[in-house]
Amino acid sequence: MLDIILAEILVAAIITFFVGRKLAAIIAMAVSILPLIALLDWASLYGFNIIHLGIEKSISIPIAGVSLNLAITPLGWFFALMIIPLFPAIMLFSYSFYKKNDGFYPFMLLALLSSIGIIMAKDMLTFFLFWEMMSWSSFLLVYRSRDKEAVMSYFIFSSLSAFLIFLGILIIYQQNASLLLSSINIESNAYGVVAIISLIAGFAIKSVLMPLHAWAPYVYSKSDEPFVAFLAGGLSKLGYYGMFLILFILAGAKVLETYFTNLSPNYILAVFGALSAFIATLIAFMQDDMRKLLAYSSIGQLGYIAIGFGIGTPLAVSGALFQAFNHAFFKAVLFLAAGAVAYRTGKWKISELGGVGYRMPFTFMATLFAIFTLAAIPITSGFAAKWLLYESAIDAKYIFVAPIMLIAGVGAFLYSFRILYGVFLGENRYPNIKEAPKSMVAAMFILVMPLLIFLIFPGYMLDMMHDALISGNIATLNHNAFVIETSLASYNTIAVIVALMIALIPAILIYKTRKHRVVDFMDNYLAGELPELYDNKISMHAASRFYKPIEEIIGPYFEPGTMSYYMAIYRGLKAISDAVRKIYTGKAGDYAIYVTLFLLIIMGWFIWM
Amino acid sequence: MDVSAIMIKSAVVIAYAFIGTFIGLLFLGVGRKIVARVHNRVGPPFYQGFIDVAKLLSKKTNISHGWIFDLALLFSISGILLAFAFLPVGGIKLLSTDGDAFLVLYLLAIPALGFALGAGASGNPNAGIGVMRALVMMLSYELPFVITMIALMIYYDTTSIARIVELQSVNGISSWAIFIPPFMLAAAVADMALQGMLMEQPFDIPVAPHEIASGPMVEFGGKYLGTLMLYKAISIVVETTLFVDFFLGGGVIMHGGIVANIANFIVWFVLIFIVFTLSLLINTAFPRFRIEQAFTFYWKYEAILATVALIWVYWMVI
Amino acid sequence: MRYEEWSGIARKASKRSLWMVHFCTGCGAIEMPPVMTSRYDMERFGIASMATPRQADVLLITGYLTVKTLKRVVQVYEQMQSPKYVIALGSCTMNGGMYWDSYNTIKRLDKYIPVDIYVAGCMPRPEGIMNAFLKLMKLIDEGKARGWERYKKYYERYKKNQEMAFNFVKKEEKEEEKNEGD
Ligand code: SF4
Repeated sequence: MLDIILAEILVAAIITFFVGRKLAAIIAMAVSILPLIALLDWASLYGFNIIHLGIEKSISIPIAGVSLNLAITPLGWFFALMIIPLFPAIMLFSYSFYKKNDGFYPFMLLALLSSIGIIMAKDMLTFFLFWEMMSWSSFLLVYRSRDKEAVMSYFIFSSLSAFLIFLGILIIYQQNASLLLSSINIESNAYGVVAIISLIAGFAIKSVLMPLHAWAPYVYSKSDEPFVAFLAGGLSKLGYYGMFLILFILAGAKVLETYFTNLSPNYILAVFGALSAFIATLIAFMQDDMRKLLAYSSIGQLGYIAIGFGIGTPLAVSGALFQAFNHAFFKAVLFLAAGAVAYRTGKWKISELGGVGYRMPFTFMATLFAIFTLAAIPITSGFAAKWLLYESAIDAKYIFVAPIMLIAGVGAFLYSFRILYGVFLGENRYPNIKEAPKSMVAAMFILVMPLLIFLIFPGYMLDMMHDALISGNIATLNHNAFVIETSLASYNTIAVIVALMIALIPAILIYKTRKHRVVDFMDNYLAGELPELYDNKISMHAASRFYKPIEEIIGPYFEPGTMSYYMAIYRGLKAISDAVRKIYTGKAGDYAIYVTLFLLIIMGWFIWM
Repeated sequence: MDVSAIMIKSAVVIAYAFIGTFIGLLFLGVGRKIVARVHNRVGPPFYQGFIDVAKLLSKKTNISHGWIFDLALLFSISGILLAFAFLPVGGIKLLSTDGDAFLVLYLLAIPALGFALGAGASGNPNAGIGVMRALVMMLSYELPFVITMIALMIYYDTTSIARIVELQSVNGISSWAIFIPPFMLAAAVADMALQGMLMEQPFDIPVAPHEIASGPMVEFGGKYLGTLMLYKAISIVVETTLFVDFFLGGGVIMHGGIVANIANFIVWFVLIFIVFTLSLLINTAFPRFRIEQAFTFYWKYEAILATVALIWVYWMVI
Repeated sequence: MRYEEWSGIARKASKRSLWMVHFCTGCGAIEMPPVMTSRYDMERFGIASMATPRQADVLLITGYLTVKTLKRVVQVYEQMQSPKYVIALGSCTMNGGMYWDSYNTIKRLDKYIPVDIYVAGCMPRPEGIMNAFLKLMKLIDEGKARGWERYKKYYERYKKNQEMAFNFVKKEEKEEEKNEGD
């Protein structure tokens, strides 16, 4: 079935190039139904008997001399679970988002195709081919923004990532004379270590780990939301897929540990992840552009996954995969919500928005739930993931990672509230807008569904990642559907839910027995003044530079920023190339001298030999 | 777990919710009395908290600003009761074996988030500013607090508060965490963090009544303010209990038997009262910090002290 | 629900927990600090000052009101949540006091919002203010402090009076403009 899926998506990509926007959206949506069914079908490979269509484990597709070897691995299936379901929802969203079909659908379909290829790849060559295809299709989608910074930074970082991954693959091939994942054995020598590190760095670029994140804020904030939702939700996970592959399935973590006997290199990944979570969070709440805020929040939330992989214990890795799953959905919802708000208001800046939630209650509800998950409010699945990660840090006694991670979790409340208050609440600045189109609202609610399931049953998530963890030689946790037990403590969702029911009783009693009257928000205490008296010219919305006091303290520390280091590198390179360019003076005489000199050196060398 | 066990547990939790509310309201009144005595005033009667809540809940009109505003009421009281249920109180574990310190930390965020939403939905700029200050304050005090918490967790090799309390009570009072040298430092740090958590002076800028008209609560009145008061009352109990559970062995001095339970309960009550009084005395002695000052205070001095304690503990454990 | 049907407890509670918002116009505000601080300490009776009208039960008008401030007072009063009470300090609020012939102060506050207690004096002593609160408590207990019901019942009439006062100023302003134009 895998080959049918790939062929079908490819054909659809070509067709959508030529048809109108509505038809293209419907085709794209219809096409992604088959992989969805296949997902459920493949589930029965791993002990979930949902449906049976005829399961296959591996196939190879010969194309132009090389054969693409694909297989459904437990890890691939788990990652497919968080990438493929995003696609139809995003397509549904885009149904009313675009005014015309200008190349969005074909490239999105190609991105989907290549990401399925990546997570199903059986050998490194196939992996790399699809990786390149993914990079190019997403590059073309970024290119649609026509924003110089975004396009350039995405191009440079994508090529850097491809280069690093290719380097790693070459070294591995040189060591093993094989590219089949099952037969690769990374040797514990300097080459092996270089291979692992370059591969991880290459993946870290795609999964926006600091300090390799510099492209993300530009790309996320300038491209179309449906694409960014897929990029941040789905494609960024591919980097972590690669990391899992290298670190655990190919036992890269062990190799590193045996090579560096004294210090644990994994610690470094965890520290990078923690810094990523922490710094990105602090930067996030200083942003005024909604999309930039979400971009930094993405960097921060993805940092947690790196922490989990870095710590590498069963607790940590299950937490990381859980977080990856959650992030895929809530971040997609948030970006789509940003798109829906912009669709109605045409504004991105939080300081120019406000009160959208009163008019777009359903968009607000979806956002609210996504934000609860993001901020890890208990009993959302976001909490279960973060809880596992916190436990793992304490368990492994990572005393520097743990507090940073926790405080980044608190920082998430700050930027969450920035979105909630700045965009959706506060002064009703847009009294005349309508709720987002039905297809958009439906898309957001579809994406919220999976989070709701794992809200009550976090244990199911651990069941689903069970085989993936086993394939990476990682033990699974002690759990059932509701209770996760660790050596340190346990988390019981049923207890929380029952207690919540009980705790809600007094609240509901007070709420119901005492009547209230809803007033217009203009009826507000402003030292006795009526807002109308100002003809609404004075803003009652504290939205611009919301966190000013704290911004003034921590802002200066972030002023240089990562980008300026890259700019310094860029300037250095430019200076060198300028110097080199001076060789080409354009005068025949100079070139004659170069040739003579060159010949003289060659001759001298021969004589010396 | 069978149904009867769940029923019994629920009954105990409900009973404790009532006790917690009662003690909290008592503390509100007693606290005002203590502050008044420091000011050389007579002060309100000790049962003033009950009167105020009764009055607010019996108001005839209650003004709401829509369904998001109502979330404040629903989230605040249920969130804080939930957090209370997951804390061991005077040796009774309640639900604390089903969750841990991280859960309690995040449960404490639910009411804050609810009020933030309600305040935001009121459309009052003062409320927005107040919530901003409250959130920045939260970010400030959480850093030293979580560092001390992690020190405890690493020392006792558990994250469950029930277990921490248990391990501290093996030898009675002498094995309380506060008598272990690094935790004396940690307790001092955590007490200042508690000051911020309780929003007592010098860290009460989020609700500064004269600057931003009591901040987040500016539009709350009637039953909304009543639930806010209930929340405030219970949160005093919850937060001081958190401190007592972490550093003072949860007030457990005896094991086994009904007498021990009563004794533990009384000790717990006395301890949270002492912690609360301490914070009130600090409150009366200080003026108000600006938000930047509070932030620097916590992230510079407090965080460094807490880190010292953490490294010290790490040293001891390794 | 009518006022008489109130349960006894609610009445007792609201009597012992009067939260006030003071509208500090005029000179009377200066008498408030001693009432609040240790000399007279009104917190003994559960009286506390609140920041916003939403939270308060008692509106304290501490002196003369110009027509412009009256607008704000009405706004504040309407934002308070019933049952709500008004205490007016000083002779200015009763009959205009020493501003009896001023063109832009209102003479009788009771015409515009229902006043429950007047405190006489120019300005009233702190003891007087304390006494007013005690009297108010007694009235609440007896169910006689019903100004807010009066306001609801005669809302039209109160509005008309307020409009008249506001319009008076508008007329004056217009006349002034006209005079300037001449
Ligand atoms: S009554 Fe006397 S003291 Fe009070 S405002 Fe009027 S003039 Fe001033």
